[in-house]
Amino acid sequence: MYLVANIDTEICAATSCKLCTQYCPEANTILYDNAAGEDKGFKYGAAYVAVDRCKGCAQCVWVCDNMAKHNAIKMEMIDQIGNTALTENVTYGEKTSSAVLANPVRGQM
Amino acid sequence: MSLDYVKFTPGFGKFMPKEYRDMVEHGPFGKKTSVSQVGTFKEILEEHPMCAGCAMTLFIRLAIIAFPNPEDTITVGTAGCGRLAISQAAIPFVYGNYGDQNGVASGLTRGLRLRFGDKPKDVVVMAGDGGMADIGFAQTLHSWFRKEKFTTIMLDNEVYGNTGGQESGMTNKNQVLKMAPLGKKFEKMDMLGMAKVAGCAYVATVVPNNPRRVESVIKKAVLVAREIGPSYIQAYTSCNIEYAIPTDKVMEDAKTVETDRYKFSEYITDEAKEYLSQLYGYKEYLPKPAAAVTKQ
Ligand SMILES: Cc1ncc(C[n+]2csc(CCOP(=O)(O)OP(=O)(O)O)c2C)c(N)n1
Ligand code: SF4
Ligand code: SF4
Ligand code: SF4
Repeated sequence: MYLVANIDTEICAATSCKLCTQYCPEANTILYDNAAGEDKGFKYGAAYVAVDRCKGCAQCVWVCDNMAKHNAIKMEMIDQIGNTALTENVTYGEKTSSAVLANPVRGQM
Repeated sequence: MSLDYVKFTPGFGKFMPKEYRDMVEHGPFGKKTSVSQVGTFKEILEEHPMCAGCAMTLFIRLAIIAFPNPEDTITVGTAGCGRLAISQAAIPFVYGNYGDQNGVASGLTRGLRLRFGDKPKDVVVMAGDGGMADIGFAQTLHSWFRKEKFTTIMLDNEVYGNTGGQESGMTNKNQVLKMAPLGKKFEKMDMLGMAKVAGCAYVATVVPNNPRRVESVIKKAVLVAREIGPSYIQAYTSCNIEYAIPTDKVMEDAKTVETDRYKFSEYITDEAKEYLSQLYGYKEYLPKPAAAVTKQ
């Protein structure tokens, strides 16, 4: 098993500074959902990780902790992470994207 | 080499992989996309085997996002780590023999101009410091002296990364590497100085810990090469493997190195300034009004 990045939607949605995705070395990996957190009253949306593309470098963690100072990203074991975003479940829209969450090890249940 | 080459043949769209459909429908082709919008559109760089956390990977990703017209761009590369990613983007990629990249790009640029006339087709070389300053040194310099109109980007990780840690001309003096156990005996080569002497119209140094700046210099370099003359970008893109940088400290290293010895620098000729000043977004290069003369 290996580590992948996991973003806490609530912490991120409070500011959604959009820094981490500019620093992730991998393309199409940290994506944005402008509607994330809307149900809880947040209006900026939040970042999420398509974990099948994440190489586990933790650069985003450094950026969120030290540059953004939001501490919203943690590295977690892929089999412990629960339901999360995967490339095959991502839909792009007009200047946004969203993902149907699925288990990265067992697939969509 | 136009928007058409990324579109589906009618009726075939539904058989294409999801990533491909996303790229055609939500990619940057024919639109103005920017680094600040990443995560909301499909990038044209796909998965590749470069190491986790590699700063060169990040730089290549940002550079590709920054191309002003990705649908009219061709990249040229050579042996070295960078080609592993550059070749996995939905942009035609030409693989020059090790060191031949600026020679190949010269012929390609001239051929495209003969074929397409005034319609701009951008040629961008991205290669390692070994491929550019050592093995391809003569071809790099000659393309600049000949004023070939394309962009040259050095992915400067200050080592031969792909072959396990030999020193290059761009390695710093006294640096010990796996295959330079006694430390390098000579200074880092001044490729920036040589680019200016050889007549490049735009020369910049950049470090990927400032993504918007990477975007800005890439756009300028490509636009200047389109009309005015050769452009050269030297990017510090650390090799976390050969320099033993923990992957979560790669940006910290980039910041330190930028402050210590890889400061942002930009050189632009008057002719290039004048050209950019006529394009949207480059008002900064408009001639400054002459200072008012005060009567005595
Ligand atoms: C003519 C030739 N000589 C040697 C090689 C072996 N080779 C492949 S990559 C490489 C080093 C690349 O170093 P650099 O250009 O600095 O790029 P990096 O891998 O560091 O990005 C070498 C020597 C080759 N492919 N072709
Ligand atoms: S850096 Fe942190 S707070 Fe900012 S967008 Fe990324 S996860 Fe959210
Ligand atoms: S751990 Fe690395 S590859 Fe994964 S999302 Fe973060 S920066 Fe990107
Ligand atoms: S060997 Fe170094 S330069 Fe090459 S991909 Fe790995 S970290 Fe990057």
